[in-house]
Amino acid sequence: MRKQRLTILLVLVLATAAVYAVFFSKLIPGPDRGGKTITVVLKSLNVRSDYWQAVISGAQTAAKELGVRLDLQGPLQESDVEGQIAALRDAIARKPAAIAVAPMDDPRIPELLGDVRAAGIKLVVMDTPLALKNPPAFVANDHLQAGRLAGDAAARAAGEAPAVAVFSDSQKAPISNQRYAGIEQAMKAHGGRISGIYYSGDSEQLAYEFTVALLRTNPKVNAFIALNENATLGVAKAIKEAKKTNAYKLIGFESSIYEIQLLEEGTVDALVVQKPFNVGYLGVKTAVKAAGGRKTDRTTLIGSTVVTRANMNDPEIQRLMFPFPVIQ
Amino acid sequence: MPRERPLRLPIFPLKSIQSSISFAFSCVILAAILSISLISYQLSVGAVEKNSQGYIEEIIKQVNTNIQSYVDNMENISLLAMTSKDVKYYISDNSFISPEERRPYEKRISDLFQAILYTRQDIANLMVFGYNGRFVSDRRITDLNPNADIAQQAWYKDAKAAGGRSVISAPHIQNIIQNEYRWVVSLSRELKSTDGITAEGVFLVDLNLSVINDLASNINLGKRGYVFIVDRKGNIVYHPQQQLINSNLTAELIPEVTAAKSGSSFIADDDKGKRIYSIQDTSFGWKIVGVAYTDDLIASKGTIRNSILLYALCGLGISLLISFWLSYRLSRPIRNLQADMKLVERGNFGIQTEIGQMNEIGQLGRTFNMMVGRIKTLMDEIIQNQESKRKSELQLLQAQINPHFLYNTLDSIVWMAEQKQHEEVVLMTSALAKLFRASITKDQEIVPIRVEAEHIANYLLIQKMRYESQLDYEIDIADDIMRNKTLKILLQPFVENAIYHGIRGSADKGLIAIRGMRVGDNVVFEVEDNGQGMTPEQLQRLLLPEDGEDRKGIGIRNVDERIKLYFGREYGVHIRSEREVGTCVTITIPIL
Repeated sequence: MRKQRLTILLVLVLATAAVYAVFFSKLIPGPDRGGKTITVVLKSLNVRSDYWQAVISGAQTAAKELGVRLDLQGPLQESDVEGQIAALRDAIARKPAAIAVAPMDDPRIPELLGDVRAAGIKLVVMDTPLALKNPPAFVANDHLQAGRLAGDAAARAAGEAPAVAVFSDSQKAPISNQRYAGIEQAMKAHGGRISGIYYSGDSEQLAYEFTVALLRTNPKVNAFIALNENATLGVAKAIKEAKKTNAYKLIGFESSIYEIQLLEEGTVDALVVQKPFNVGYLGVKTAVKAAGGRKTDRTTLIGSTVVTRANMNDPEIQRLMFPFPVIQ
Repeated sequence: MPRERPLRLPIFPLKSIQSSISFAFSCVILAAILSISLISYQLSVGAVEKNSQGYIEEIIKQVNTNIQSYVDNMENISLLAMTSKDVKYYISDNSFISPEERRPYEKRISDLFQAILYTRQDIANLMVFGYNGRFVSDRRITDLNPNADIAQQAWYKDAKAAGGRSVISAPHIQNIIQNEYRWVVSLSRELKSTDGITAEGVFLVDLNLSVINDLASNINLGKRGYVFIVDRKGNIVYHPQQQLINSNLTAELIPEVTAAKSGSSFIADDDKGKRIYSIQDTSFGWKIVGVAYTDDLIASKGTIRNSILLYALCGLGISLLISFWLSYRLSRPIRNLQADMKLVERGNFGIQTEIGQMNEIGQLGRTFNMMVGRIKTLMDEIIQNQESKRKSELQLLQAQINPHFLYNTLDSIVWMAEQKQHEEVVLMTSALAKLFRASITKDQEIVPIRVEAEHIANYLLIQKMRYESQLDYEIDIADDIMRNKTLKILLQPFVENAIYHGIRGSADKGLIAIRGMRVGDNVVFEVEDNGQGMTPEQLQRLLLPEDGEDRKGIGIRNVDERIKLYFGREYGVHIRSEREVGTCVTITIPIL
């Protein structure tokens, strides 16, 4: 009897100790942070590229929030494929916990990304889709949704029966093709039609010339959707010169100062603005998650926002259009 | 036979007292050390946390003061513009300034503004807009953005609505100047005419947002800490993660912050981690909020934890060793006793266990020693008793078939047969037969008194026939004890003694009287003769242990011992004797 009581007492004491330990152990180990390095390989580290700078600041914000070390790599120019391949090779050699990469269009890249995984490094692909076996986590702008938004904006601006001319860069550009698909969806929904697609590359002049010709020959078009900045500027120039800014609606993409000025003066009716900050932020967040061995969403798509004259002074929109360096 | 066990016990046997004691010790020590280290960890972390909370409050106060001083400066600049006669005159509706005169005015105002701007790198724009349509800025040539309607600007509308008080805007893009898009915070104020009533224009000071950004980013609130600003209504004025908040990727504790008083702080603990919010109000309505993650701040948390853990482990190790040693010490006397008990178990009663201190275990050892000693005496006694019992039985057997007696009796029978005394022969032979029958009932040691009486009667009959006139006898045994029990052949040795030593040598006719009666709780037999009697020396010799081979029959002493063995020490034989008078033997046994 006595012995039993002693045993019960001991069990009680031990149980109390265990409860204590469990209750306070939450404080003791804490979330495992620090020490981990996430390498982000972008297409460009150019400080003059607003888009990539916004991606970088998103990545930095996430790194700070999650307490990981951020290693930014990439070429200076977006056309420097060799630079990105070298950066990826170096990154693999340094063996970070995870690599988040915005891959360029080159046949050697998928192979390199295979090496990344073979080295036991978690992989996250950002910005540009990539055909890989067993696709890694993917974080990018939702270009289809952006296209739909552009189509919706065109339909709203043009009133009934929108007839849009779409200016794209090239037939092979996957992003532009997705945007185009989105526009098609929107047209279907609004009962409009796409009267033609024009490929102007990244030449403002070409877009201008196409538009001038178009305005002469095909008066049935009532809206233009330009899928990149240069096309937007080219089309706007042509419309402005023809003094037909009221007759023709123009929906552009991205948000350079020139485009914003065109929006202010009314030549451009709406701009579809992406959220590269969110791409960087969610890219790093997903990479940290993957490095921590947790389940990640296979695909994270980030929606765009339509900016018009009506909402361009909202602080939220201003944040998007004029990326302000965040506190690091 | 118990299984053989090694005498030396292992150092740490399970299920032993030693292991129980050390287990109990260990549990208690473990629990004590665990709780003490946790509590001390908790206390030290709490203290550090409290300190850092105060430290953050201090930092945010500093940030507040800095921002406040920027705003105060803007306010002072606005006062400067307000009191400038040139400005007043320039925007006044009542003044008549011809287009030719405008330039010098504009130049003077612009110079004033430029002078201010030279000293202040943080100011982006200084501008005055008269309701009369005139405007002056800090630049010589100012191209306004044709597409930006000043009347629609928030700072312009708010200043008009405030009626002379200065208004601070939220950070925004200032786009009124052509080709300039800058993040600024605007302070605007409506200018009154000299009468102080009529509103004549709006004055604007733009502070570069980068100033606030630098201010906030240079604050060290740990690796992940940050500063943000909300206005009175809880709208975020400035937040490093504003874009994330807009995209609903993260959220801020706005209701808690707006509810908190200036100078206070609170601790939030959610999935983002434990962090301290410290709030300071500015005079113009902003709340400066510092957020710091406790994990970052309390850099020593890990050190505290590790050192406490280390000390706890050391303490644990040492106290566990001590508990093993203590339990070994405490249980050693018990183990010794146990080892000695094992020896006793194997039959060694000669040992005495060593008694250390006179504690419970010492007393146990003493009792054990006493017990072993008693067992030893008892066993010796039993062995001795068994031996003498065996001996007396052997002698009893001898007595029953005493060859001399048999020979003499048979001789008498032969003699009587020669004398043709048939009846006597029959009588004697049948008495002899009965005598033997009684004595060969070997298995029964205890017989009824009736049987013993018959036996002695048969014996005396035979002796009477042998000694004829020389011997006379009488047997008087009470009827009420006939059914009681007695030892077999109890009386015969005394009767034999009386005949051979008392009566045979005496010249007179011998008389043997045998009596049996109940006295109290005992049965008493008396065998009395009127023979030679004995001298005290003879009597003494009789009671000594028999030593000669010549002694025939059973010694008196043996009978006495037999009685004592069977019935106890208080029973036995008592002899009275007097020379030339006779001998009387009294035998006392219990009633059975």
